[in-house]
Amino acid sequence: MSLNKFSELFGDLDSINSTNNKIEVLKNYFSSNAPIDNSWAIYLLAGKSNKRFISGRYLKNLFSQIYEYPQWLIDTCYLKVGDSAELITLLLKNKTNPRKKKLSNISLNELLSETIPAISKLNEEEKNLEIKNLWESLPEDNHLIFNKILTGTFRVGVSIGLITKSISKLINIDEEIISHRLMGDFKPSIDSYEFLINKNINLQELNSKPFPFLLANTIEDKIFKNSINDFQFEWKYDGIRIQLIKRSGNVSLWTRGQELVNESFPELVEKMSHIKDDFVLDGELLVWNFKEQIAFDFSLLQKRINRKSPNRSIQIKYPIIFIAYDLLEINGRDIREIKLENRRIELEKYFSKWQIKTENNISDIFKICDLIFPKDWPDALTYKEKSRENNTEGLIIKKKTSIYSSGRKKGIWWKYKVDPMQLDAVLIYAKGGSGRRAGLYTDYSFALWKDKELIKFASAYSGLTNFEIKELDKWIRKNTIEKFGPVRSLKPEMVFEISFEKIQISKRHKSGIAVRFPRITKWRKDKKINDADSLDNAYELMKKIS
Amino acid sequence: MRTKQEYLIRYKDGNLYCELADIWIDPSKPVKKALITHAHFDHFTFGCEEYISTKETAILLKERVGDNIKINTFEYGEEFKINGINISFHPSGHILGSSQIRFIFAEEKWLISGDFKLQKDQTCKQYETVKTDYLISECTFGLPIFKWDESNKVANDISKWITNSPEKSSLLFCYSLGKAQRLLNEISQTNFKGNIYSHGSIHKMNNIYRKLGIDIKDTIKIENKKKIDELKGSLILLPPSLSKGSYLKNFKNIQTAFASGWMSIRALRKRSGYDKGFAISDHADWDGILEIVKKSEAKNVFFHHGDSEALSKYLVEKESINVLLFGK
Repeated sequence: MSLNKFSELFGDLDSINSTNNKIEVLKNYFSSNAPIDNSWAIYLLAGKSNKRFISGRYLKNLFSQIYEYPQWLIDTCYLKVGDSAELITLLLKNKTNPRKKKLSNISLNELLSETIPAISKLNEEEKNLEIKNLWESLPEDNHLIFNKILTGTFRVGVSIGLITKSISKLINIDEEIISHRLMGDFKPSIDSYEFLINKNINLQELNSKPFPFLLANTIEDKIFKNSINDFQFEWKYDGIRIQLIKRSGNVSLWTRGQELVNESFPELVEKMSHIKDDFVLDGELLVWNFKEQIAFDFSLLQKRINRKSPNRSIQIKYPIIFIAYDLLEINGRDIREIKLENRRIELEKYFSKWQIKTENNISDIFKICDLIFPKDWPDALTYKEKSRENNTEGLIIKKKTSIYSSGRKKGIWWKYKVDPMQLDAVLIYAKGGSGRRAGLYTDYSFALWKDKELIKFASAYSGLTNFEIKELDKWIRKNTIEKFGPVRSLKPEMVFEISFEKIQISKRHKSGIAVRFPRITKWRKDKKINDADSLDNAYELMKKIS
Repeated sequence: MRTKQEYLIRYKDGNLYCELADIWIDPSKPVKKALITHAHFDHFTFGCEEYISTKETAILLKERVGDNIKINTFEYGEEFKINGINISFHPSGHILGSSQIRFIFAEEKWLISGDFKLQKDQTCKQYETVKTDYLISECTFGLPIFKWDESNKVANDISKWITNSPEKSSLLFCYSLGKAQRLLNEISQTNFKGNIYSHGSIHKMNNIYRKLGIDIKDTIKIENKKKIDELKGSLILLPPSLSKGSYLKNFKNIQTAFASGWMSIRALRKRSGYDKGFAISDHADWDGILEIVKKSEAKNVFFHHGDSEALSKYLVEKESINVLLFGK
């Protein structure tokens, strides 16, 4: 029966907007279901599983084949629904009634630990038969969950934070402890759930896991009223945030996404294990240009992230560095409650000790972040503007007297990002959105002038308000020149201000340039297409920066 | 094949028009003579010289347009003649008084479906199958992703939604004519036994329905200054136009929902801004449209009001039915 319960939970969470109500619903669910099912529920809700057993396209084809639906009809429907799993669920309403087969009651555990893993072991013919069989024997209310898990698209508006809060309420234990227990690998099992709700806090168990990360808020004007001396200034690196833990001789690298990434960066793990002390460091992992002592672009780091056990030549081609900016624990002593300025003193002290005392040279892979000392706020602004020169994104401003708490707590860490680069570009293509934006044209492509021609230079889908999206959607439908599948080419008429973070040469693009994080920052209704920027303007921008 | 001008009924200025009788169907601007399928605002306009409709539609129309309009009424199935064309109304199952309109001229039959549904609805006459040569059908929900649940299932979901939050006032938004009365009728058959309030515009329609012999539960007309405690745990029916803006500030601790066929799609539900959506519609779903196309035995079909592209292609490919395009 519990798959029904989980489907119900999904429906409730999906239709509740209030955080408190969500927590209440979750708490009730956990207190009335079996530990093993709870464990799976947490696994799914926390987004720990997005393994795709079958692609959305496969599911659509299968449906088309079994129920003799033309493919084009399914594709048309998809444009309205925007999600394959939901689309098939809706189409199945037509097809599984009236039912001939007896409905099967299976638990969430059975579905996830037996039924679905078994499907992936079958050959194609058996697989298709089994999916059809499940479609026809599972209660209708369970179809959405089943299809979503199958396609690895299960998502609902629940954060780890919400799960943490509901478990914390359930057993009356501090959120920090629960959040700690939820970090890292969560393997669904009775044991892992029992561990989560264990009322006795087991220190040793907890020790193998990272602390919850402290996150920075976007800067607010009120900060400038404070004395500059209240803050510590650092460059904001554009790498992967890492907690580097060494306890009882074992090194672990944890990302903010609570992934253990030791396998991707073995040389760092090896070097750090030579340090004699135990510690927990918070910092940034980067691919480093040792000659110029600045970070390489994030794209080089991407070449390392997804590659497990990189060979020697990869390690040399993309040399990494860990830049520590905080010390959270030293030799078993949790120092997060100590003021930042004092933690910094400890960090510097231990770093110099390690540099001298460690047998192998560690400075070719590990350093602590440099501090910046602006005289006043205008000076800080000057530093921020210079941040592009050293490939950083701006400044991180930290309150010297702050403790290391968890989450995005206000007033402790601020990020002061460099202003984005901007160009005015012409909208030339639009594509239907998916998910929440299904049925609306929300993915846009923009072009710049080259002589008398408009050349596509970036695609963006964020930055417009819902109201603007609807307005633009109407305009798009009326001003389509041609349709290619889901894409429409449009009458060049609308000009938008596009902001982005980085601009560089790219052979892959017709325009010859690539930009990072393009987004719409203004709908320039005041501009005609002749006022839009040209590719030459883009090249100038690039020159100015490098 | 005839040209568009030679059809008995065609599109003119965006409206359905029969030139031979010089009569318009559900016109969106004032004309001399207008046949009205039903009393929803998007199916009639003020200022026509003469309206023709069923008795029930006429009463609802007068409520909306005013008493001083010229309106001729006919019973369902009763034939009347205009310029030698036989015209009759037939139940379409959409709302009270709603009708399909049939034209017969020189042994050729035309049927305008009007808005229709096949689902059971105790607040209006059941859809009647009418045979025709030419069918002009609406296709608001003309995709196979639309398949309605039984209305008592939806009503039970609504009842559960209210009783699960006894501390809240449950605001259910729905069209004030038709949908509201159908919901009231269905909800009164569920386990929900709390108070039901309705907005003035809905209250007014409820009274007309009751006068016309439809069994509708009594509701309390909502006043702006109701005590919050009184509303706790009760159902409040409101028209969708009040969902945005300051009206909602009259209530504290609320949950909101919208009752509409579009709510079956998650993306639309999320975008609508309501907490919850109940998929219940007074239009036909995909199967419903296919069913009336088949049962009407029409050889030629036109669609309007909706995305007709996919539906047309499907009928041509799968059912070998001739689907024609109106020149707009």
